[in-house]
Amino acid sequence: MSHVSARSRWKAVALVGAVSIGLAACGGSGGGGSSDGGSSGGSGGPALSIGASLPLTGDFSEPGSAAKQGYEVWQSIVNAKGGLLGRQVKLVIKDDASNQNTIVSDYNALIAQDKVDLVLGTFSSLLNLPASAVAEKNRMLYVEPAGGSPKMFNRGYKYLFFAQQATADKQGLTFAKWVTELPEAQRPKTAAYPTLDDPFAAPNVEGIRKVLEAAGISTVYQTTYAIDTKNFDSIVAAMKAKSPDVVVHGATFEDGVGLTRAMLKSGWTPGMFYETSAPSFADQYVKAVGEPNTEGVMYAVSYSPEADTPGNADFVAKYKEMFGSDVPPEDAADAFAAAEVMAAAVEAVGSIEDQSKLADWLRANKVDTILGPLSWDETGAPTGEFLIGQWQKGKAEVVLPAGAATAEPAVGWHPGS
Amino acid sequence: MSELVQTLALSLLVGGIYALVASGLTLIFGVMRVINIAHGAFLILGSFLTYTLWDALGLDPLLGVLVTTPVVFALGWAVYRLFVRPIRDAPMSSTVLLTFGLALVTEGVMGSVWGNDSTAIRPSYVNSSFHLGSVFLPEAQVYGGVVAAVVLVGFWVLLTRTWLGRAIRAAATNPASAELVGIKVTSVAALVFGLGLAAAGAGGSIIGVLYPFVPGSHYLWISRLLAIVVLGGLGSLEGAVLAALVFGVAETVTAVYVSPAWATAVPYVIVFAVLLVRPQGLLGTRLRDDAVAA
Repeated sequence: MSHVSARSRWKAVALVGAVSIGLAACGGSGGGGSSDGGSSGGSGGPALSIGASLPLTGDFSEPGSAAKQGYEVWQSIVNAKGGLLGRQVKLVIKDDASNQNTIVSDYNALIAQDKVDLVLGTFSSLLNLPASAVAEKNRMLYVEPAGGSPKMFNRGYKYLFFAQQATADKQGLTFAKWVTELPEAQRPKTAAYPTLDDPFAAPNVEGIRKVLEAAGISTVYQTTYAIDTKNFDSIVAAMKAKSPDVVVHGATFEDGVGLTRAMLKSGWTPGMFYETSAPSFADQYVKAVGEPNTEGVMYAVSYSPEADTPGNADFVAKYKEMFGSDVPPEDAADAFAAAEVMAAAVEAVGSIEDQSKLADWLRANKVDTILGPLSWDETGAPTGEFLIGQWQKGKAEVVLPAGAATAEPAVGWHPGS
Repeated sequence: MSELVQTLALSLLVGGIYALVASGLTLIFGVMRVINIAHGAFLILGSFLTYTLWDALGLDPLLGVLVTTPVVFALGWAVYRLFVRPIRDAPMSSTVLLTFGLALVTEGVMGSVWGNDSTAIRPSYVNSSFHLGSVFLPEAQVYGGVVAAVVLVGFWVLLTRTWLGRAIRAAATNPASAELVGIKVTSVAALVFGLGLAAAGAGGSIIGVLYPFVPGSHYLWISRLLAIVVLGGLGSLEGAVLAALVFGVAETVTAVYVSPAWATAVPYVIVFAVLLVRPQGLLGTRLRDDAVAA
């Protein structure tokens, strides 16, 4: 009896150990599953099928679900206008559960089994890195709505295009330049740079740090944390001890909210606060940190619902009709723009047989999207200037650059006001 | 010096909450030899239930413990009767698969009921702290820690000071003899499964206030919780509490004095190191001796 108990106990320890390490290693892995969206058939031949795998569950479920909405709005608008190349468009969307392994098998399945005619990109650099490799191998055009890490574009890919205005390392530059040009009395002297270990967030912060340091704003705190970090009190305690004038935070959503709340709890907040991603999540962000605490928070953003860009009014109206909100999330708009870019190339070339022609066309031309005009260099990296947003009186305004601004930038974060 | 005090205070508050959730997991293993991979999913379910109570009815999320604990207890009891009991005699790997399946189903159900958007519970005190000199103690963490301590002590009293506790321990130590003296082992097991999950439900109310969550958040929690119960010694309640505190301190101290990049890795290094020296975990022997004595 005792022998058996001891042995089963050992087995249990080994089993739990293995499971625990496995789960810890993959962080957020999980269920797969697929869903077909949209209509099929129509005039002008069989429906054109367009495949994508999105993180509809797991860590990136929030932006993944928004991206799905963006694709669906595009599908609905394009089908109402007669489709693409005269064929109705059918989306085939799979769920990669925010997992880098699942996404590879998803895109392989989309291309080899579902035999989709075209593919669209997924959300986040983390997932687009492996997914774009599958598309490249199959010589299929790959326009991604998110995934601005510089690492995406130093691999010599020919079929990859990023449908936003700038890569991650350049997205905060407009903000950094604005800070360095502030009058002496308002310009911060010290800065802190906490960032998530993420191929998008980290280069964004790094780009800003270089500019601020060159302008004499000294770095008093800098750290990188892992994606499964839940507890931000210790990072805030360390920052509080250094009391920097500005905090530049490289975040996705949950950690952005986590760090903001930890600062509020600690009773210490910096004079100025810039954060990637999280503040662009409109209603979700306001609900998570509380409206009074958003006042003055700055962030890089690719899209404004009020922008006077071609097709934007239609997009906003259709989004409201389908999903009930006046303010489409940025990720939905980015996905819509990615589909616009792909469609522009397909319409211009007039065929999808040889997709290298689509890629060549995009490298040589400018595409008007709801984000504004987009153009690309040889690597597929965009060559534009990013927008800087700021929360003012409970509203997300675009404050930089001056040409696209909906409001003047205001200096300072004033939580609770 | 104040930085050290601050760090230790924060880490003990985090550890206390880990302890509450891990206690349920270790209890279920101790009595039933079932490794419940769905534990994290029921924790997040507790968070979502608390969110609804707070959002729709305005109930304070920490008072939500009074609702989530019995609700998740009942769910756990039902889950045991319906799913776990039929495969009690199967190899342990079957129950791991079963509970992993339960975790996925629960995640899916939460996704369709509450959506995959990040959810946050923000009672009035969520952004306030108690200040003792230069040290700050976030109010929500302090209240959460107190609730966790109360529930844990309740657990301990139940297990060591009541007839029910004796029956549970008897069923854990020697099911056959327990049946002989009139204990219905199956009923006890269902009760324990319910109790274990109830601890996760209670923990969910507290964690929902401290961190934003999505249905998929349970993966992060279950990996942490499994490491804690292994470190403490599978099946040992005291071990789980001690290991949870070690985990909390290791995470926070690493974040402050080494780098937050290592904060989530170092506790696992400690688990490896301890298991090399004490394969049964920190306090794992006692229960093993009990089994041997039987």
